[in-house]
Amino acid sequence: MAHITINQYLQQVYEAIDNHDGSFCAELLSFKHAHVANPRLQLSSPEEKCQQVLEVPYDEMVAAHLRCTYAVSNHDFVEAYKCQTLVVQYPYSVAQPFSLLSRALPVMFAVTLDLRIFANNAEQQLLKKGKGKQGDMLEKAAELLMGCFRVCASDNRAGIDDSKKWGMLFLINQLFKIYFKINKLHLCKPLIRAIDSSNLKDDYSMAQRVTYKYYVGRKAMFDSDYKPAEEYLSFSFQHCHRSSQRNKRMILIYLLPVKMLLGHMPSHQLLRKYDLMQFADVTKAVSEGNLLLLNEALAKHETFFIRCGIFLILEKLKIITYRNLFKKVYQLLKTHQLPLDAFLVALKMMQVDEVDIDEVQCILNYTDGKYMHKANPFPPLSSSS
Amino acid sequence: MNNRASRRISYSRRGHAVEREWRQKHNQGQWREAQETIEEEKKQDPVPRGTCLCMCPARELQRREAQNLLHRFEVLAGSEKDRRPRADPLRVVKEYARPAAGKDSTRPTDLRPPAVLLKTVCYLIDNIATSPTLQPWIDVYDFVFDRLRSVRQDMIIQRVSGPDCVAILERIVRFLIYASYRLCGEPLRLYDPRINDIHLQESLSWLLECYTRGQHPNQEEFQALSLLYNLGSGRATQHTMELPERIRSSSVVCLALSLSRAFMERNPVRLLRLARKLDFLQSCALHRHLQACRRDLLLIYSHGHSSRNCHFPLHKLADLLALDVRLTTCLCQAYGVVIIRDAVVFSKTSFTEPDVGRLQCPNFHELVENKQSGLTIGGIIHGCA
Repeated sequence: MAHITINQYLQQVYEAIDNHDGSFCAELLSFKHAHVANPRLQLSSPEEKCQQVLEVPYDEMVAAHLRCTYAVSNHDFVEAYKCQTLVVQYPYSVAQPFSLLSRALPVMFAVTLDLRIFANNAEQQLLKKGKGKQGDMLEKAAELLMGCFRVCASDNRAGIDDSKKWGMLFLINQLFKIYFKINKLHLCKPLIRAIDSSNLKDDYSMAQRVTYKYYVGRKAMFDSDYKPAEEYLSFSFQHCHRSSQRNKRMILIYLLPVKMLLGHMPSHQLLRKYDLMQFADVTKAVSEGNLLLLNEALAKHETFFIRCGIFLILEKLKIITYRNLFKKVYQLLKTHQLPLDAFLVALKMMQVDEVDIDEVQCILNYTDGKYMHKANPFPPLSSSS
Repeated sequence: MNNRASRRISYSRRGHAVEREWRQKHNQGQWREAQETIEEEKKQDPVPRGTCLCMCPARELQRREAQNLLHRFEVLAGSEKDRRPRADPLRVVKEYARPAAGKDSTRPTDLRPPAVLLKTVCYLIDNIATSPTLQPWIDVYDFVFDRLRSVRQDMIIQRVSGPDCVAILERIVRFLIYASYRLCGEPLRLYDPRINDIHLQESLSWLLECYTRGQHPNQEEFQALSLLYNLGSGRATQHTMELPERIRSSSVVCLALSLSRAFMERNPVRLLRLARKLDFLQSCALHRHLQACRRDLLLIYSHGHSSRNCHFPLHKLADLLALDVRLTTCLCQAYGVVIIRDAVVFSKTSFTEPDVGRLQCPNFHELVENKQSGLTIGGIIHGCA
């Protein structure tokens, strides 16, 4: 692949289209494939060559793709992005026999993935030069992807096997990645609704479903819907392929805080297995009711937690920590009516700054300590949250 | 680009030659045209640059004077009672006009360059907003609000950015925050807090976006104001957590974050205690959350201290609520909290939500008011208080 001539390449493309071989065609247009490193294909004006071999509109599309390889070889990602937008816009607006089929979907997957990656790279390049706004190029890329998505979603052909609806989940996952990056999570909602109302939702490939549930789980976390978040992220974690350690770790980063909030602490083995020892101290602190350790653990790994966007959720673990602390006080004093001073002493021991007796009242309320006048002052966590 | 005229016949032999040729020509043409239009538009659409050196373009001044549409703050002294009052060119300010189809809002003579916009904003603050003679303040607010909206519009059309933009937006934000406090409680037909809020949020987001590039001396102040105004918002809190270390660790942002934490942990005692440390403008930003805060405190204490022989000192409660004794009594009465002589008898059964409208926020502005002494409004808005 790395040594073929331009004519050989174009001939292969032509044949792939002719035989409706979507997967091979996708490879020939994808930047994951070796052909992009071939200098013979990196041309700045390949239009004439393409016209000689290919029909409209594929000639334009492939020409844009080749211009893109040229731009990438020069590390000009802004230009690469522009070329890729041409590649993406082409295949589905024209009524060609090949593009009508779902077999063309791999092509769409490949070119949209590259579009997102180039948008990212182009943005980084512009920002380094001091131009452009964060999120601009990605938003534009998202608009193009939405265009492709609409084409897929509105494909109401009778044969479900041939329908372009099978492309929906892949595109949605790409869009999720962009929306999370540019921090516009509210744009995810209509997409989630589209999948929920689709009857194909459980029939997509497992890989796509795992990615989908990962993002939906994260969104639920952001919206403070912890129960659904736990379901989605657990599904994602369980069904993520054993070999994708990196992905499993990423899912776990979000699953752990949610589980901890619901009262389930992770084991040390799990944390060690996935290299997430940042959570070790946090877990220990929460189960022991050790506020001091919790504050220290959060401060120590602050950068990591903030970058992942879970710092604020982990802070909510304070309520459980307070609760466990006060439970210990109760167990020590063994009475039903606990004087506020006892709690104050416990808090001071935890070096909680400037807490006075007035605040203790608020903290107790926050941890449902008002139950302390009843027989069982500390009902199990999951039932009261 | 390429010379399409001498196109050789493609090697693909499938399909009807005639149809194929037609499609080729048609699609080529369309594609070519689309590309050319985009290039032309780019050439014709440079960013508009204003040339109007007065606060109001001459055309508009003449039109409004002729049609008797001048505001009373814009007329020449002595001609107010005339049938058609004369315009004072030193006092007329370009008003806000909704963009409309067919109306060209990009004529350079109608647009004010950034330096003039800043002068306009300063005029509005120094000569209108802080004028001791113009009454009532609600009219002053309406006028300034509208004219500032027009300033923002000129900035958007000219895509102003950088230090000019920041200087203008900072003053606008301070004005709107101050107004949200000063006009709190005015009847809805005169002042709608929601509209003020919408414009304040718009200006704040734009300002915070400007801060992402370059160095700005007042950034910490506004990051703190944004967090205080949007207390409880997950988005605002996450944004603040992601600020660069230097800004996040500044004292003003730290204080705002502690307040935010106290709010999230439902600790009104700590929140009100910290609120005492805020300066006047920060208190204005916070003040709309105070009512809920005080309600929480009374609720928590009603449940926590609920007992028949409760004797909570009234002056202590006043201290916690950051109100004087008289206002504390008022507040307690509104929430059904019983006071006997100078002691509060908390009881979880007597706490009730007040009727809608019973509690007038302005009556409880004490905490904020006291901070204003010694400050001038002009100083507050220009940021040199």
